[in-house]
Amino acid sequence: MKKIAICLYAVVTVALMVWGFYQAIYVAPDEQTMHEVQRIFYYHVPSAMVAFLFFAISLAGSIGFLAFRRNRPEWAQISDAWALAGAEVGVVFCTVVLITGPLWGRRAWGIWWTWDARLTTTLVLWLIYVSYLLLRRFAAGPQVQTLAAVLGIFGALDVPIVYMSNRWWRTQHPSPVFGGGQDSGIKDPTMLHAFAWNVLAWLAWGLLILALRYQVERQQQKIAAQQAQDALDA
Amino acid sequence: MDQTAILNHQFTVAAYVITWAIQLGYLAWLGLRWRAQKRNAARTGRNPR
Repeated sequence: MKKIAICLYAVVTVALMVWGFYQAIYVAPDEQTMHEVQRIFYYHVPSAMVAFLFFAISLAGSIGFLAFRRNRPEWAQISDAWALAGAEVGVVFCTVVLITGPLWGRRAWGIWWTWDARLTTTLVLWLIYVSYLLLRRFAAGPQVQTLAAVLGIFGALDVPIVYMSNRWWRTQHPSPVFGGGQDSGIKDPTMLHAFAWNVLAWLAWGLLILALRYQVERQQQKIAAQQAQDALDA
Repeated sequence: MDQTAILNHQFTVAAYVITWAIQLGYLAWLGLRWRAQKRNAARTGRNPR
């Protein structure tokens, strides 16, 4: 039953991705000033939204690990697995943002990169979570999970700064699409629909790979626990 | 098609292709890791699940 549900979810996700692609490329009209290159928006912005969500999941997992590590070791391991999965999949989406953004910027602004607040804080966010993953990968010892949890919490503090950066400071990056005042928002309903479908599609895709990454980490934890038990028994 | 439109098209295609390459590459890496774990668990005679 569980396998059928997972397969069904995967099929629905793929269908959403195909539909989102069709909406973005064939249905949504060309934007008046940027023309075709504006279609990068339908992948760039949903990827950023999903990355933020997964960094929030990583934050919750990191807090959970620190809260449960002394009293409820099993819950702490589950929290830690969510923290790692959220950070890793978040980095994947953030990488997409940092590559599609300059491709769009090169055509829209004439430059690949500028050190404005939105771009710089996003790069810092990516670097913090890459350092989190490197810490998880290469450090050893009983304190690694605790150190990673603390780093994960500090990393998540950058998310609201990234989000608010083009409200707080004047940036080369466009003003907020949503919640940015009277002029914000997508006026064309076809563009809005294409955007909404792509947000839904990338969210579904992200949740699928997040769940898979979580399962891989839980399995790894169980293998490590078994090996530790075997070492004690020997 | 003028030069600007061609470049816009190429950049858009590049952004979409790179996005999918990253996402599918990561999925493939996860799949390989999952399979290696299963094989490892089977070799030691235990299923950790």
